[in-house]
Amino acid sequence: MTQEVTAAMTVEAQSIKKLLKTLLARRETSVAIILLLVVILMSFASEYFFTQRNLLNIGRQASVVAIVALGQTLVIIARGIDLSVGSVIGLSAVTGAIVAQTTGSQVLGIGGALGAGLAAGLFNAVLYTRFHINPFIATLGTLSIARGLALLMTGGIPVSFNGWASWFGAGRIADVPVSLVMMFLLAVLFFFLATRTRAGRNIYATGDNPTAARLAGIDVDRTRVLVFAVSGLLAGLGGLILAGNLNSASPDLGRGYELDVIAAVILGGTALSGGRGSIPGVILGALLMALLGNAFVLLGISSHWQVVTKGLVIVLAVGIDGIQRGRED
Amino acid sequence: MTTHRLNIAGVTKSFGPVKVLHGVDLKIAPGSVVGLLGENGAGKSTLMNIVSGSLRQDAGHLHLDGTELALQSVRDGIDLGIRFVHQELSTIGSLSVAENIFLGDYLAGRAGVIKRRDMAARSQEALASVGLDRIDPNTIVETLRPGQQQLIEIAKAVVVQPRLLILDEPTSSLTSVEAAKLFELMRKLAADGAAVIFITHKLEEALNNCDRIVVLRDGALVSDELADQTDKARLIHHMVGKSSVFEWKGSAAKASDAQISIRGLCDADAHLSPVSLDVGAGEVVALFGLVGAGRTEFMETLFGFRKAAGGEVFIHGRPLRLGHVPTSVRNGVAMVPEGRKVRGILPSHSVERNISASNLDRLSRFGLMRAGAEQGAAADLAASLRIKMENAKQVITRLSGGNQQKAVFARAVMVEPRLLLLDEPTHGVDVGAKSEIYEIIHELALKGMSVIVSSSELPEVLAIADRCVVFSQGEMVGSLTRSEMSEGEILRLAFANH
Ligand SMILES: Nc1ncnc2c1ncn2[C@@H]1O[C@H](COP(=O)(O)OP(=O)(O)OP(=O)(O)O)[C@@H](O)[C@H]1O
Ligand SMILES: [Mg+2]
Repeated sequence: MTQEVTAAMTVEAQSIKKLLKTLLARRETSVAIILLLVVILMSFASEYFFTQRNLLNIGRQASVVAIVALGQTLVIIARGIDLSVGSVIGLSAVTGAIVAQTTGSQVLGIGGALGAGLAAGLFNAVLYTRFHINPFIATLGTLSIARGLALLMTGGIPVSFNGWASWFGAGRIADVPVSLVMMFLLAVLFFFLATRTRAGRNIYATGDNPTAARLAGIDVDRTRVLVFAVSGLLAGLGGLILAGNLNSASPDLGRGYELDVIAAVILGGTALSGGRGSIPGVILGALLMALLGNAFVLLGISSHWQVVTKGLVIVLAVGIDGIQRGRED
Repeated sequence: MTTHRLNIAGVTKSFGPVKVLHGVDLKIAPGSVVGLLGENGAGKSTLMNIVSGSLRQDAGHLHLDGTELALQSVRDGIDLGIRFVHQELSTIGSLSVAENIFLGDYLAGRAGVIKRRDMAARSQEALASVGLDRIDPNTIVETLRPGQQQLIEIAKAVVVQPRLLILDEPTSSLTSVEAAKLFELMRKLAADGAAVIFITHKLEEALNNCDRIVVLRDGALVSDELADQTDKARLIHHMVGKSSVFEWKGSAAKASDAQISIRGLCDADAHLSPVSLDVGAGEVVALFGLVGAGRTEFMETLFGFRKAAGGEVFIHGRPLRLGHVPTSVRNGVAMVPEGRKVRGILPSHSVERNISASNLDRLSRFGLMRAGAEQGAAADLAASLRIKMENAKQVITRLSGGNQQKAVFARAVMVEPRLLLLDEPTHGVDVGAKSEIYEIIHELALKGMSVIVSSSELPEVLAIADRCVVFSQGEMVGSLTRSEMSEGEILRLAFANH
């Protein structure tokens, strides 16, 4: 009798152990754990932390990185990389602002911002698929070109951008920032895209082994165009939100954003070698980055430390993952 | 007590809950060549991974010349003179031949500067020993054919005389000429005192070139015989527990007009002189040729993977737009490429998703994957090809090499193509599964599918082909009907332009 009970218990313990093991094997889990730890620590360290206002603020900060990172995730899963997103944020914001100002039309302003993002994405895609320029180099070029254009268009001086743009950047739906709502909707949409659609399958296959994917009849080039276009478009949306929040489109907007975005993607468990990655992971990654930023502000720690810590967290999260995965090569 | 070069005693190994090796005992004397045979997934590569130090056994002992082996890594094994040439190519494409041969052991001066000239000279010797005398050691490896890359890996293993050389299916991408050269090398190494373990699915090769043949079945050694005291039928029986040899079943070709019509096809890299070929419905056309004959180039150009410089292709009378694989697949052309690791599998994908990769159009509606359709279709094919796996959601790289090959084959079959292109489709597939694949090719042909299969194995050509088209140096030099087909005639044509 007692023997049976112990046997049953060991079986149960084993299955729990197994579940834990599979969970721990995912990088999302290590990121979620770090996230939780930071939340617990912060709730003790600052009474302001758990106020609704602060939490929504974190959400809003995370939302732009997360939105742009959604596109970047698809790019990286397809074995590419888009270094131009930060500059495209700036270019889209000033294009939208200038179009809105010159035409006086809010709709055209929004369209101009998104259109500039999409155009930059397509430009990257053409450099990659038609001219066979490695995406790292191609988007590095675009990074510079887009920033330069933004500066030329404005003469280096911020342009005011309000109206509908401020709704994107600072509006609220039932107290929740519009950008946060968008982030959730887009995350659901992209989760669906990645897991349930043919296009999603093409993206994973292209990144996993482009030659095999091509020989299997997958349109690798079209898939690459799709992911870069989406990444550009979302960078455009990011620019709109950031500029709207400030009521002004600075040509410097989004400088250095590509690092946060790529960090969020990598934290979320997407492999730089392509073929692997998940949407929920990226959202967690973006939340963690924003949470850390907030923690440093609340704790009054120098922003220089923030830069160091962000780097450490990435190395830590990816390191845990690497150790668990073992030497797979 | 004589000491054995290698003594494997009671070795077991499990991957998670699956026990792959159940206490293997094997003794190998220096100076002997031992053939290791077994079905796909029998555990051959796993056992050799343990011997070479890349996996650790769960239980049991290994001795090399009487001293216990406790390898912590492949490096330790190499330092003791154990060289393992893997089943899958592992050359580094962007490096030169010489750099590949000396990878990990660069000849360097005191300041760490690599001695290129010495490396090139010694590479040349190693290359000559595997019959690649004509290759410049400075050639970049990815420009070479898979067979040549395979030989380079072997050259790498024999730069220094090994004590134990393990060759895991080394001949699957080699032509008969190259293979003969390799067998000569094996003999020479054995005569110089090495022990050689040779894994193959080609029984004649084992019978003709080994002293002893051992068979592994489901992780246990089931037979150990001298090569001259056994034969093909016995070996097959040991391997699969029954005799199964596929024999020519008669043609499925219908006497209707040509269904697939190829007119003056040539590739943009100018490997090919224009090829014209008609294939009837249900006809199986084999392409034979030596390495470099241009068969792969021809198939890949036909399929749209390589740019065509000229020519036309008609599928059931409709012209096919060349140079775009998705279009070809949509119009009913599917291909099983040569080289499953580089061109076949999607390594991070599950078996199921690997099988369905060419069929996403049909498995989705309005761009959405249809729930359950994929599992069902993939499971059916996996079952009919008897792919050995735990479940279809398993990552494909966890399967044995031959079973990965079957999954890639399943992918092309799922398309239900009008024209099926097979480039060495039975590489690394065991005898039993080979006849199953031949069986499937025959059934597909009966349903009216046209098949072009490139094969370097004459028995395979003779077992399945209605017609044999021979290539030599990029040119189609002849076409033999069933009644004209013989090993002698095929080989004579293959050497036509040499
Ligand atoms: N890393 C792994 N994880 C889980 N299972 C594995 C792993 N490697 C091999 N296996 C399983 O172990 C079994 C033996 O595989 P192994 O590669 O040794 O077969 P093999 O005899 O070399 O076959 P083949 O002739 O097809 O190359 C197979 O069922 C395979 O699925
Ligand atoms: Mg094997």
